[in-house]
Amino acid sequence: MAIPLVPKLLRAHLAELAENDARIDGRQQWEGRDVEIETSVLPRAEGSARVRMGDTIVFAGVKFQIMKPYSDRPNQGGLMCSAEIRPVAGRNWESGPPSPESIELGRVVDRGIRESGCIDVDALCIIPGEKAWQVILDLFAISDDGNLFDAFALAGIAALRNAVVPAERFEVGEDYSLGVSKTPIMCSYHKVGDRFVYDACGREELGGDERIHITLGDDDHVHSLQKGLKGIFSTEEFTEIMGRAQERSKEIRDILDSL
Amino acid sequence: MGGYGDVQMIDENGKRVDGRGPGDLRDITIETDVVPVADGSCRMTWGTNEVIVAVYGPMECHPRKLQRQDRAVLDVAYNMAPFSTTDRMRPGFNRRSREISKVTKDALESVVLLELYPRSKIRISIEVLSAEAGTRCVGLTAASVALADAGVPMTDMVVSVASGKINDVVVCDLNKEEDNYGEADLPMGILPNSGQLVFLQMDGDLSQEEFNQAWQYNMDAAQTIHNFMVDSLKGGEA
Repeated sequence: MAIPLVPKLLRAHLAELAENDARIDGRQQWEGRDVEIETSVLPRAEGSARVRMGDTIVFAGVKFQIMKPYSDRPNQGGLMCSAEIRPVAGRNWESGPPSPESIELGRVVDRGIRESGCIDVDALCIIPGEKAWQVILDLFAISDDGNLFDAFALAGIAALRNAVVPAERFEVGEDYSLGVSKTPIMCSYHKVGDRFVYDACGREELGGDERIHITLGDDDHVHSLQKGLKGIFSTEEFTEIMGRAQERSKEIRDILDSL
Repeated sequence: MGGYGDVQMIDENGKRVDGRGPGDLRDITIETDVVPVADGSCRMTWGTNEVIVAVYGPMECHPRKLQRQDRAVLDVAYNMAPFSTTDRMRPGFNRRSREISKVTKDALESVVLLELYPRSKIRISIEVLSAEAGTRCVGLTAASVALADAGVPMTDMVVSVASGKINDVVVCDLNKEEDNYGEADLPMGILPNSGQLVFLQMDGDLSQEEFNQAWQYNMDAAQTIHNFMVDSLKGGEA
């Protein structure tokens, strides 16, 4: 990613807004943008979703491959999650090998989904020690106006939930639904003008400091955490964010369940 | 081309596997302003192809060694998303996408008024989200619409379409099965207002008569597609 210029004026403006309990796009401190989710949107993917949050738009696609199980886990299949942010998504994103930013995105989303145990990797085994399914979740940004993390995580779990294992095409039985037993949800908070806000937009990310990502499972179990970028935060700040994440993750889970 | 001539792709009534006649196009939809953060953008579906193009610029050209003192440069990248094909496509450049990016750039540089923007760069990102057959044509056509959406001055938009041959019959706009088993493929980039060309490729085997027929199918199809493009830019549904 090209290192964007951070205008001092923008930082000063954001700090002033924060002092007055306001945000640059008129939202409240903990208010998210409207979330739109569409599933089964990609004809070549075995599971897919498109998520829009404000002007941030991402796709997630699930593909399957047959792999040889790892020798230390002969009865398990695999899950792989990768994020690509190509120049289509914004003027600061450049082509070339995956940037550290996109690798971080893919890995944080991966951990939330993997550690929640929502995919039963034992059920992905076809012949122990010989054949197993590898589930590949590809996250693809179309328009980056901030908080790609939450958009990717949401599109990812939505795509997995409607994925169908293409067993017929690989001649190993009949097609069946992948089956996702849990719904991990990520909520991201960004320090903007000395306070945390939920679901930062592009300008808030540009003029903000550190960010914190929390992935919570169905019973508020914590599945992944990540602090990114330069910045310092306190236990009190984190406790407040965690409480907000518990509330918000339930709302997002309800949106997913209502599809 | 695959050239499996024994696979029957056209029935006794002259209908193709998807029910089209030889000169018919697949369904096409065009939408603009689909990437809110871009200066111009276009989403085009063509059969089960889906392509999104974003245009950024004209903007400063980095690195500076790529700058041209007298004109803008186009930075065109054609890419297939990993989930765009039946078997997952490994991310990253390959020889095919490099070539398509290059010929697309060559076509678009022929119509964009580059000399209006010295030392600058216009970035055109072509992302294939779902591939059926003819993605290079969809990409080039959608890129023209996205450039127009961005307000970049051009002498004309480029309409790209391919015709080919299956079971010794010349047909317009090959779909996936036809492309796999067909005997020839002739993609062209046409300027609809003058009938001139800025892009041409071909592979396979065509007699002179078959070639002329394929050429004519492309010329006729370009006018139809051009109407869709103009409608979408005027804000209507294409």
